[in-house]
Amino acid sequence: MTSAGVTHTSDPGYTRLVLSRVLKHRGARFGLIWTGLLVLFSVFAPLFASSHPLLIVNEGGLSSPMLRYLSAVDVILLLLFIFAAVLILIRYAVGRVYWSVVLVTLLISVVQSFYSISPPKLVVYEQYRQDVQLLESQLVLMAPVPFSPKDYLRDAGDTGFLEPLESSISTHWLGTDENGADVLSRMIHASRIALGIGFVATGIAMFVGVIIGGLMGYFSGVVDVIGMRLVEIFEAVPTLFLLLTFVAFFDRNIYLLMVIIGITSWPGYARYVRAEYLRLREQEFVQAAVICDLPLWSILFRHILPNGIAPVLVAASFGVASAILAESTLSFLGLGLVDDPSWGQMLNQAVQSSSFYWWMAFFPGGAIFLTVFSYNLIGDALRDAIDPNSHKMS
Amino acid sequence: MLLDVQNLSVFFNGERDKPVVDSISFSLERGRTMCLVGESGSGKTMTALSVTRLLPNNASLADTSKIVFDRGPEPSVDLNDASAETMRQFRGSDIAMIFQEPMTSLNPVLTIGDQLAEAIQHRWPELTENEINTKCRESLEKVRLDNVDERLNTYPHLLSGGQRQRVMIAMAIACEPKLLVADEPTTALDVSVQADILRLIQDLQSENGMGILFITHDLGVVAQIADTVAVMSRGQIVEKAPVRSVLKTPDHRYTQGLLDALPENLVATRSQESSPLQMPQEQLERSYIEIENLCVSFPIRSGFFRRTTGYVHALDNVSLKISRSDVVALVGESGSGKTTLGRTLLGLIAPHSGSIKLEGDDLLATKSDFPKNIRNRFQYIFQDPVSSLNPRLTIATTLIEPMGVHGIGENFDERVAIAEKLMGDLNLDEKSLWRLPYQFSGGQRQRIGIARALCVNPEFIVCDEITSALDVSVQSELLQLLLDLRESRDLTLLFISHDIGVIEYVSDYTAVMHRGEIVEFDETSMICHSPKQHYTQELLAAVPRVSALT
Repeated sequence: MTSAGVTHTSDPGYTRLVLSRVLKHRGARFGLIWTGLLVLFSVFAPLFASSHPLLIVNEGGLSSPMLRYLSAVDVILLLLFIFAAVLILIRYAVGRVYWSVVLVTLLISVVQSFYSISPPKLVVYEQYRQDVQLLESQLVLMAPVPFSPKDYLRDAGDTGFLEPLESSISTHWLGTDENGADVLSRMIHASRIALGIGFVATGIAMFVGVIIGGLMGYFSGVVDVIGMRLVEIFEAVPTLFLLLTFVAFFDRNIYLLMVIIGITSWPGYARYVRAEYLRLREQEFVQAAVICDLPLWSILFRHILPNGIAPVLVAASFGVASAILAESTLSFLGLGLVDDPSWGQMLNQAVQSSSFYWWMAFFPGGAIFLTVFSYNLIGDALRDAIDPNSHKMS
Repeated sequence: MLLDVQNLSVFFNGERDKPVVDSISFSLERGRTMCLVGESGSGKTMTALSVTRLLPNNASLADTSKIVFDRGPEPSVDLNDASAETMRQFRGSDIAMIFQEPMTSLNPVLTIGDQLAEAIQHRWPELTENEINTKCRESLEKVRLDNVDERLNTYPHLLSGGQRQRVMIAMAIACEPKLLVADEPTTALDVSVQADILRLIQDLQSENGMGILFITHDLGVVAQIADTVAVMSRGQIVEKAPVRSVLKTPDHRYTQGLLDALPENLVATRSQESSPLQMPQEQLERSYIEIENLCVSFPIRSGFFRRTTGYVHALDNVSLKISRSDVVALVGESGSGKTTLGRTLLGLIAPHSGSIKLEGDDLLATKSDFPKNIRNRFQYIFQDPVSSLNPRLTIATTLIEPMGVHGIGENFDERVAIAEKLMGDLNLDEKSLWRLPYQFSGGQRQRIGIARALCVNPEFIVCDEITSALDVSVQSELLQLLLDLRESRDLTLLFISHDIGVIEYVSDYTAVMHRGEIVEFDETSMICHSPKQHYTQELLAAVPRVSALT
């Protein structure tokens, strides 16, 4: 009657069920692999691409300049990833414990990193290359891409806009940008922004949208009327121009961009959620929950939400994509982050006066395309997986 | 022989070893009615669809199947060999079909007249517009629709279910078909409307002598309309004979089982077992729930500011007394306010005026909401086994969460134990606690619905049409189970149903509702055998019964 493992298992794990269904989807597998790669790249960016050697062995013993130059964000990401991996490996016993541990580590790592980690302000990227040439140290282990995103290779002369593998001095797999920085290195570091802005902005939007939309749909009446006016007001705000204004008045801060994209895109989710709640609150299983006197939060988020989340998830996959595009657009217009790498900003450099640098368009553009595409594929598979009716027949 | 079906087999997705209709044969003569009767999943609808060749795309007919259709003066054809184009010509002109759901089988954006005219024009392309118009009017008059001229220009949503089904029949007979295939045409209708429609179909048949292939699950309807009956079970015809011999002296065990499961036959067995009530007079004095002058009205809003322009009175001065441990039935046609009354008792709908007293305490005295401690004493079982369980939650969660809210069981494990015991009481597997609702059949789901109501140990349960979506055999099991539980747990039940047979079997007292009012309230045996009110008498007369067959 249904897919294997469903009828036989006594495990109530619904999440696992959905996950296994998603994984059956070929497109979703591709999307998850690409997203997983991005996660790996963004977490371990300093290990993959850095001008600082990972390890130096000389008479004085071991030293790792890479670790010394880790920023606060690097450390937070690494700690979080390691803790999450450990917890998954030891099979967290109860969900609540798991989440509290994660939150505690997050807090500790934030506080720790901001107070104790202060990487040297002045970075001289050339020193290691010179050291290596002078053979002062015995053994040097470099990162696979031995260039930091902001290492403009001043020691190598004019290296701006070198085609992939064109340089005779050093290997640039994907060429260099206008300042002479390695494109691959910049792309690896930029995956952080692409992932972060998509997830955080959409997360904020979904959180606000589900709560406001859910209350609107469940209570309807006056709450609905007021909520809909609020939705219309926020829908009238042009996101891109608001972003431009904020960029003009405040710092070019990635977190500010995330929040702005988030709080201007919730109305779409609220509309979807409201429509679903309006439909579902009349359903008999919701009436039954009311009769059993279950608390409001349980009715709203445990009984109604999982049944109405499908269209929101599909919208969210597009939302993640459009958040990435919004940041890329901003960077393309030259109003993104100043010196930090971002895919959109690299695209911006592809066309300069009369020349077209194809590698500056192809690689970042391809990365944006693949990421947006992946999210859409995952959203599509998720929608199929959480629809109980689509599995009755199979 | 109008229709001669030989070795009809239907299978899905090319799975020849698992046919849904398994080489059945039957035949039908002109002017005769053949009933296909069976429970859900027995393949009766698939049989009807194969005759009209309207099977779903993934279903196919076996090559050996023969469906020979006699076209009168013209040579007979095997519909199994007919091309799509010939079938299209037959449908509507020689073979017509009526569907179950009158609400969705008419196109909502075309007027009745347009839809009728299209069917007639397809049959006789040479007719002029005026002639078509006359034919439309004639056919609507034939199905006894009033205000025919007005009706031609109205849209389907303005018609009631019975009127729509009449329009469907008008469309079917307008083209003077030789064969009418009717797939449960009265299942969605009230009994009195059903009686009218059945009579109408019979009259039309005697007028133009068409053969009718009538599909139903209701043996009462069979008794009223059929000449011959074929009983289907699991894709096979287990018994095929004239109606009288099937219903009076059934040969096959399955048919006998179906007949035994009929509520009207269950009543006999129950009254032999025990007479349920001892001292009705005394019980009436100490009433458990007392409803006085309850009015519920829904506002009609219109205009830009959604101003209230009027009210629909769903309940109009309803008064009812329910004694402890009684089963009180509410019976009435759709729209009579039965469900509204049930939901108002549970506090799901706020009444306009009136009072509900529980052992003397007025539940509506506190303005804001129902008193919290009432909630675990009152419960509700819903009609639809599909939508009454949350499809995303395991049965365990559905049962255990309310227990937690009402402080039943000390911890999770203890609640699981209670839930397991409850599942055992309802003849369900304990392990199925960890499954999702879609893994259960309709009857099992309805039992889970009962388990959910029982898990908070209520005293009073409103059962809202709990068996109307189920087959008769499942229905009789469920009703028996409910009566046992009522005994063992000392429950008071308000049993809402449109089925007089079920009510006669289940209840001690019956209240008959009509247009938001209770027209008669008495002991069930009195209501069923010597009703005093005219409306109740009409309602009872309309119920199709197997025993009415003479």
